[in-house]
Amino acid sequence: MRASSRSKFREGRGLLTLILAAALGLSLLSVDWTGGLLHSGGVSYAVRIFGGMFTPELSPKFLALALEATWNTLTFAVTGVTLAVGIGLPLGIAASGVLFSEGWLRTSTVAAARFVLAFLRSIHELVWAWLFVVAFGLSPMAAILALALPYSGILGRLYGDFLNDVPQNPLRALRASGASEFKTLAYGRIPMAMPDMLSYTFYRFECGVRSAAILSFVGIQGLGYQIQLSMDDLLYDQVWTLMYLLVAVIVAIDVWSSVVRRNLTR
Amino acid sequence: MAASNEQQRAIRLDQVSKSYPGRMALYATSFEINVGEAVAIVGPSGSGKTTLLHLMGGVIQPDSGDIFLNDHRLSEMKPGRELSSLVGVIHQQYDLVPHLSVMHNVLAGRLGQWGILQSLMSLVSPKNQTLAVGALEQVGLVDRIRERTSRLSGGEQQRVAIARLLVQDPEVIIADEPVASLDPARATDLIDLLAKIARESNKTFVASIHSTDLAHQYFNRVIGLRNGEKQFDLPVAFVSPELLGGLYELEGLERESVVQE
Repeated sequence: MRASSRSKFREGRGLLTLILAAALGLSLLSVDWTGGLLHSGGVSYAVRIFGGMFTPELSPKFLALALEATWNTLTFAVTGVTLAVGIGLPLGIAASGVLFSEGWLRTSTVAAARFVLAFLRSIHELVWAWLFVVAFGLSPMAAILALALPYSGILGRLYGDFLNDVPQNPLRALRASGASEFKTLAYGRIPMAMPDMLSYTFYRFECGVRSAAILSFVGIQGLGYQIQLSMDDLLYDQVWTLMYLLVAVIVAIDVWSSVVRRNLTR
Repeated sequence: MAASNEQQRAIRLDQVSKSYPGRMALYATSFEINVGEAVAIVGPSGSGKTTLLHLMGGVIQPDSGDIFLNDHRLSEMKPGRELSSLVGVIHQQYDLVPHLSVMHNVLAGRLGQWGILQSLMSLVSPKNQTLAVGALEQVGLVDRIRERTSRLSGGEQQRVAIARLLVQDPEVIIADEPVASLDPARATDLIDLLAKIARESNKTFVASIHSTDLAHQYFNRVIGLRNGEKQFDLPVAFVSPELLGGLYELEGLERESVVQE
């Protein structure tokens, strides 16, 4: 029965792929390839913009400004993602249902936690930011919350899955030593899920830095804000300096993440 | 139950049955084990050894029948403190948490006794360290105490599991094929260690094993299982390779390969 439902799923998936491919093909036909692709003078703009790649602005004054913007973006991302871990972990534990034995209490807790997580992450951080700006005005707190809420929904969902997917035998052995489900969580599930949880949190932190850069319009003098200013002044050399700094931050996080994970799994 | 012996009963099974979807794992099995006895459970794969041991360890619940530990009904005992001080189980795989240090895996034997706060604090600064050191000394691994458990070999991890059991300090030690994953020499060492621990502190010891040699060397009594039913329950002196072989032969297995080490 299981096999037949799976093969039905496969059939459905094939059909879906076909429909999506057809939609893509049709959408390509609807593009006006002759006129509208580049605006008048578009080519010269493109040359100026991408020429900036090779001549980033490196004057000390601008570099100081850019580094400060990077720092602001980074602290914003760190605060937001830390808050998201703080909200996401308890919600993820509740959504995993590992603290309860079978029954209505478990079913309802899992359902409630999963709903809250789905609600948090189905609204994009830009939309949250919009709402908070309208409600509270431009403030760093609005931006941090806008980042933390959807990220806690995403992290919590994944944490819950990771905590459920650990090998069962060590947990059984812990229970046989008299461990309650909570102690089993602390001594078995979390340590065993930790490499996955850390790795995913680091990845989310990278995403957080990108989002923080964009969200800086909400009231933080971050990278996105500076990029916007430089774009408005048509200073593409400056834009590229700022973008390279963003890349540098992401690469640094990636290196940090792999060092931490290597220490953890060694 | 006016048993004739004056000795104290450690374990009593009364018509215990357990089935899994589509198959009977253990059928109306009854026997008693006295405090301090060393009992070997033998039988081919699928004969119900693991089920029987897990039932005695409180890892799974019977469908019908009663299990008594120290004359208390197992089903009425709370898991945690009470059960963990009565019975401890060594599993087929060593089943440690590979990501934790050896120290934490050993001290996990105290989780039944510790409160929640104590348990959490101990992850940061381990409590009862002397207990862990003492247990690891007995299994000869005290120099590995700070290492990640995953860095230890299979045989070493099996010893860490024994150290955890020592820290748990239950009255009954149950070992489910403790030697299945080890080579014969190490297997003998391990049974030797478990039997010695049990003997020295007058603990009851129940283990599933495959060889008559091991049975004669370390156990007083042998219970034979086949297809979830008890075939014999005899003092070890009456257990011959032929008897044990018969148990396996009925399953169509090669007697030579299974019985002899």
